[in-house]
Amino acid sequence: MFATAFSFPRFCRNTWLITRFELFRLFGSPRGWFALAAFAVIWFLILRYPIFEASAALQQADTQAMLSRVFGMIGMYKLMAWPLPELIVYWLISLVLLPFAVVVTSADQTSSDRSRGTLRFLTLRTSRDSIFFGRFLGQWLVQGLLIIISLVATLGMAVWRQHSLSLAALEAALIMGLNLFIVLAPFTALMALCSVLVRSSKLAVCLAIVGGGVLIGLISWAGWYFPDVLRLLQYMPGAQVPALLSNQGWSTFKEVTLPLAQTVVLLALGRIALQGKSL
Amino acid sequence: MSTIIQAQQLSKSFGRHQVLHSLNFSIEAGEPIALIGPNGAGKTTLFSILCGFLKQDHGNIEIFGQKPGSEGLSGRVSALPQDAMLDPNFSIGTQLTFYGQLQGMNKATAVAETRRVLALVDLADYISQKATVLSHGMRKRVAIAQALLGQPELVMLDEPTAGLDPVNALQVRQIIANLTSEATFMISSHNIFELERLCGTVLYLEHGKLVQQRSVQQGAIGYLSLQLENADAALVLNVLRQLPGVNSVENAQKNEFAIHYDRELAPDLDISLIGVLRAQGWQYRSLTQGRTLEQQLFAVANG
Repeated sequence: MFATAFSFPRFCRNTWLITRFELFRLFGSPRGWFALAAFAVIWFLILRYPIFEASAALQQADTQAMLSRVFGMIGMYKLMAWPLPELIVYWLISLVLLPFAVVVTSADQTSSDRSRGTLRFLTLRTSRDSIFFGRFLGQWLVQGLLIIISLVATLGMAVWRQHSLSLAALEAALIMGLNLFIVLAPFTALMALCSVLVRSSKLAVCLAIVGGGVLIGLISWAGWYFPDVLRLLQYMPGAQVPALLSNQGWSTFKEVTLPLAQTVVLLALGRIALQGKSL
Repeated sequence: MSTIIQAQQLSKSFGRHQVLHSLNFSIEAGEPIALIGPNGAGKTTLFSILCGFLKQDHGNIEIFGQKPGSEGLSGRVSALPQDAMLDPNFSIGTQLTFYGQLQGMNKATAVAETRRVLALVDLADYISQKATVLSHGMRKRVAIAQALLGQPELVMLDEPTAGLDPVNALQVRQIIANLTSEATFMISSHNIFELERLCGTVLYLEHGKLVQQRSVQQGAIGYLSLQLENADAALVLNVLRQLPGVNSVENAQKNEFAIHYDRELAPDLDISLIGVLRAQGWQYRSLTQGRTLEQQLFAVANG
């Protein structure tokens, strides 16, 4: 008898091999080292200027009181409750910037391999599902590792300032790291989908930005006539970020359902798109 | 022999342009199979469907009883896709090892396999190089090497010598010829002479239709193909037609003659022919048993 068409253990094994190869792409190739160097420079600048300067200012009682009132007015009154000023600024900057960074850095999950024909070599050996999900997982894990590195650097800066680190700060860093990891999942899945639809990473970025902009514009326009349609904006990737900023500690995990659901839907769409694609 | 490919009513269109028209064929394991046809005949489209890169619009196709692209075919079917390139960011050794692992090998076996197949294509010294530093011919050989990883039962090569210089093309043909006992090769090309040397069965595609599927009659009874140096064609025809057992002689191309004869009446015609050539003082370039693949294909195609 011939082997069955689908073998779950084989799918898992090959998906993990592809995921590992994505990690190797970052940590084991000159191109990856260059990307890591760029990441380090950007985070050095973020740590040295916005985070360092802002955290110094946040140690002033007057500034804290004033910012608490300001953030309170826009519903982020719990922002100042995080234990370290460095982490407060890190949290704010990461939640705003990292989704945009992910749109750019994870744009080439399958597109250039497809235009180059490399995907043909791969599909002769493994399923399109393994390639699609393996690449997504690889990109997501890479982001997780970069989040860990940037958080460790932020904590290191705090230690350097105050010569100690509380358990509460470590717990906060863990909560922030996990939250960021979940926040980035739908954006990574969105780029997995866009990468399938077009043949280059630049086009994938354009598709994500223009497509997202057009969708928001259409919903807003339709909202003039049918106000209930505006509710759809609550389901866009990143829509839970303001709510995250309004919460603190473990209560932030109340917001994980939406990004995880978005990730599942976007991955399902990407999978369907890749299955139907000519290579 | 077992059937490895079975196609029924296979059709494919791109927009309004129908590329493949209801193809029906079956391929047995064994001798290399040639997929021949002019540019635009649909060879690469058929190859892409066989490899699972494209889906047919209509009809059914099975390889080893499974749909093309099925995971169950991984390791059993391999291919050299036309114009596909390796990732320029990694060495060819890294990528071939990765491909071997995806086929189910462990790391050590995959590394050993990578060394073996690169040695087969005479590129063992380039294992640490990236594809970008290799010449076109070397890249083609690496792409052939990836198709030989493991022990595939069916190896499909789309235009394996396209764009190669004669030396590299000869090397690729030798590699294929040396491996024909280990796997069934299916080779697409529009170079009839190349396929004639390698293949036992021919699928001839024209305008997306299968014009014929037949065994190559190399060494077939009753045919000789003679190529002379400069000679008076009329005189040659006149002399050859008078040889005992000869039924007809055609001067298909300049200095080329196809001789159809009765094998029972003239079992040693080739030897007699050489005597005649010597007696007449005609220099010959080649004397081949059987009709060339080109003569076979176009004799039928022309009715």
